[in-house]
This record gives sequence, structure tokens and C-alpha cells, in this order.
Amino acid sequence: MNIVAIETATSACAIGLRTSEREETRVLDLERRHTEVLTPGIAALLDECALTARDLDRVVIDVGPGLFTGLRVGVATAIGLAEGLGCDLVSVTSLELLARGAALAGERGTVLAAVDGRRGEVFVQTFALGDDEVTATTSPTVTTARKVVIEWATNARPVTFTGDGVERYLRDFAAVPTARVFDQHVPSLEAALALGATREPTTKVTPLYLREADAIANFTTRERS
Amino acid sequence: MKVLGIETSCDETAASVVDDALHVHSSVIESSIDQHRAFGGVVPELAGRAHVATIGPVVRRALEEAGLDPHAPALDAIAVTSGPGLIGSLLVGLSAAKAYSLAWQIPFVGVNHLEGHLFAPLLEQPDLDWPVLTLLVSGGHSVLVLQSGPGEHEVLGETIDDAAGEAYDKVARWLGLGYPGGPEIDRLAREGTAGKLKLPMSMTGDDLDFSFSGLKTAVVRATEKNRDVALADVAASFQAAVAEQLMRKMRAALARYDVRGIALAGGVAANSRLREEIAALGHEFGVEVHVPTMAMCTDNAAMIAAAGLYRLRVSGPSSLALSARPNWPLVDVA
Ligand SMILES: [Zn+2]
Repeated sequence: MNIVAIETATSACAIGLRTSEREETRVLDLERRHTEVLTPGIAALLDECALTARDLDRVVIDVGPGLFTGLRVGVATAIGLAEGLGCDLVSVTSLELLARGAALAGERGTVLAAVDGRRGEVFVQTFALGDDEVTATTSPTVTTARKVVIEWATNARPVTFTGDGVERYLRDFAAVPTARVFDQHVPSLEAALALGATREPTTKVTPLYLREADAIANFTTRERS
Repeated sequence: MKVLGIETSCDETAASVVDDALHVHSSVIESSIDQHRAFGGVVPELAGRAHVATIGPVVRRALEEAGLDPHAPALDAIAVTSGPGLIGSLLVGLSAAKAYSLAWQIPFVGVNHLEGHLFAPLLEQPDLDWPVLTLLVSGGHSVLVLQSGPGEHEVLGETIDDAAGEAYDKVARWLGLGYPGGPEIDRLAREGTAGKLKLPMSMTGDDLDFSFSGLKTAVVRATEKNRDVALADVAASFQAAVAEQLMRKMRAALARYDVRGIALAGGVAANSRLREEIAALGHEFGVEVHVPTMAMCTDNAAMIAAAGLYRLRVSGPSSLALSARPNWPLVDVA
């Protein structure tokens, strides 16, 4: 099975390709140039593996949460590829990829994944990392680093923080005495390819926005006036 | 040769299949306008979300209605609007277009949305006589263009502040009418008498530029002073003042340039008063008049495909690395 994975939830743009023989991942850009680098990157990687788009069986897409513009570039690209080829589309989330990325690196126990949501906010979700499985223990939600810290500083349980949201608010997150930080900027492409191979395909992908468009609307209107 | 056009620059998600004889095989349009009404204008975030939800189904329908296999269509290229427009909206269509291009291994070309509007008359009348003087008026743009042939255009004048459609929206909001303002004011104006509300003539200089911001302010002032003027009369007076300025500039351009036809394009081309006045103007100057059907006034992907066919032939395909240009002026199109 040939699988391509697309990751555009953070300011980074990354892709992965898995065939029966090999697995490749590439971080194409770190500066939000998703539109410019994504499709050329996929074309180049396919070329490198002596494949064409027609050889793809599955497209795996990270639906977020993350930065809206990047997410839409990734999701629209995944839709175009999967619809155009008539192949399967598999939906994964940025937060589970961060947790699974930590698990692949040997982390165990409680992990809190945090993606930078801008406007002073982070998208977070906690997971239990076992030897064989990764289980979500909360739902993905939008909050602030400070609120996360208040919650964890009082509960005195060991926790591992990971994701670019942690990097962004490292001074806050470092205030939790029982916490360690697992450095991880980009949601794991290895995890996306592994999930993509086993997860049930979907017919419709929708970005996981976690913020109401109405709130954005009011925000934007305020900004404009 | 067949091209798939994709348009997502504002609130319409559109796809269309057009061939090189400019025959339209399908044209599908989904609008998110209902979601924006409450806000009195297109909300970029809502529009972006709607495009993501509809782009796949809209393209699929356009292919199926054109009798093509959605997973292996017999197409030669893809044309997509890459500017100007809302960045978050443009990126959805552009990203999808690149992906389809990669999937089907056919070239794609980024098209200027305004140039797309200029190709709309050709879809309804392929044997157009050139040159044509075109008034392109919409919610986002007001441009007067001299077209010496398809794709050969010179911008003679444009708005220095608000677009004509924008002025309609603002005046409609002031009068407590719904959004979008164009159809509301147009409907109301038919029951009123123009001139009941005295509005100043604007942009009386020699240039061919427009201005509608002052007109909107004048409506606000005049209605505050004369509270007993009927709403229909306000609408009729405003609508007449907009048409008067547009026609005065058209007339000035017609005196300077020798053309065979005049055309209306863009969303405001649906305005009944404008349609009547341009017909009269054409009659007066003895030139062909090209008024698009209502369906061709609004944003659609057939016009993008038509412009794309031309751009592919003249400029060649775009690189997969193409980025969107939210402020891409028509004068920069080459
Ligand atoms: Zn338009």
C-alpha cells in the first residue's frame, strides 16, 4: 500500500510517503509557506520514490487543531488528491500525532500535547501512553498555557508536555514541577503514516477548528473597524 | 481541448468545464452568502470554511455534469483563480487545483479573477467585434477597461475608494435593508422616484476614475436632513446617482476611444437601471451592447476557464509553487 501523509497544522509544512519498501518524511518549510511548498514537495517525493500520484492508495491528512489557513491548504490539497485519484482519505489529528510521536520516541505515561493556536491560546489534549497503545484521556480543547499550568501545578502527577505550543510558552510550562518537556515541533509524520495504514478511511474531512467561526467573525469585524 | 475552471475568490465555490470553442459543458456554483447575511458582509473565516466543505463536491458535480469520469477526466488543463480575493478563500481553490493537477498529471494555470470577468461576454457571444469598452463593476471592484481583443486590456479608470457594489451594501445597511444591498436597493428603487433626494454629482473631472464613498456619505447626510423622504425614493435617487456617474465616465471614454462595442461585467451588472442605461448608451453611440445574462454576472468558474484557456495559450501553465495574490491588480496581468 502506498500512502502519502500531509501535515500543515502548525507553521511547519511536512509530508511523508510510505511504500511497501520504504518510508520517507520531509519537513518542507517552517515559515508558513504551505501553499508554495506542499504540492511541489509531494511531486518531488513521489518522483524520488519512482512513483506517480496514480500509484497512491491512501492520503492521510492532519485535520488539526492548528492554524486555520495552513489547515485549509492541507485539507484542500488532500481532498483534491483523494477526489482526483478516487483513493482513500484518512483523517488524523495534530494532537494525537504529537502524542504518538512521543510514544514512538519511547515516552510513556501521561502526555499533554499542545499546538500553538496564536492569540495567546493553545490547543491541548492529554493522552495515556502505554507500551502497546496510545489512548486519549481528554477531548481536544482550546485554552491558555497559564490555565494548563494552574491545573497541572496543583495535581502533582508526572506529565510530559510536547508540541509547538509548549515551545511557544516554555516559560509558563516550565513552572510545573512534575513536568518534563519532550521537544517536538512538528506533529509526527511517522505516526501519521502508521495510523494511515490501519485507520478506517472517511468520506468527508473537516478541519478541527475548535473555535467558532462566529467568534472569529466578531473578532475580525472588530479588527477592521 | 477541455479545461476545468475553479473559482473560490469570495463567497462562491464554483467549478466548470469549458472547451476551446468556449462551449460551456457544465457550470456549478455553491454560495455561502446565507451565512454572511447576519454580518452585513462576507466574513472571510466563514467563507474559507464553506469553501473547504464544498470544493470536493462542486468539482465532482461539474465533472459529472460534463459527462467526465471524476477520477480520470479527459481534461487538458485546470484554470484556477489565484487572485485578487480573500486570501483564505483563494487558497482553498488554488490548493485543490494544484492537487487535481498532480493527480491527473495535467497542467494548471493561475487566473486573475478580473480578467475572468472580462471573458464572460465571450462565453455568450464568441464572435465579439473588438475593441470593446467594458465596465466591470462588483462588490470588490469598479474598473473601466478598453479591450482590443481577448486578453488584451488596458485599464482606463478605476474607483479611488469604494467599489460600486460596496457602496450599495453600505447604503443598504444605513437604510436598514438586507445584505447584499444591490438587489434590495434595485427592487425598492423601482417603486420610487429618482431625484426626490438631492445628491451631488461626484467625480466631475476629466479622468475616467470613479468614487462612491462621497455618494454614500451624501445619502447619509441628506436622509438625516430630510427624514420624510420615502425609502423607495432614497433608493431610486442613490441608484440613479451611481448610474449617472458610471454612464458619464463611459460616455467620456466613448468620446476618446473608437470601439465597436460596450459591455457590462461583474455582480453589479445585474442592476436593472444600469442594464437599461447601457443599452441606451449603445444605441446612442451606434455600438454593440453586451449585457451578460444574470448567471454570467455573478462569480462563476466558466469565465475563469475561458480566461485560463487564453492564458495557457499565451503565457503557458503555472508552476505548482504558485502562491495566491489577494491584491493582484488587473494592470499587472500579463
Ligand atoms: Zn467577481
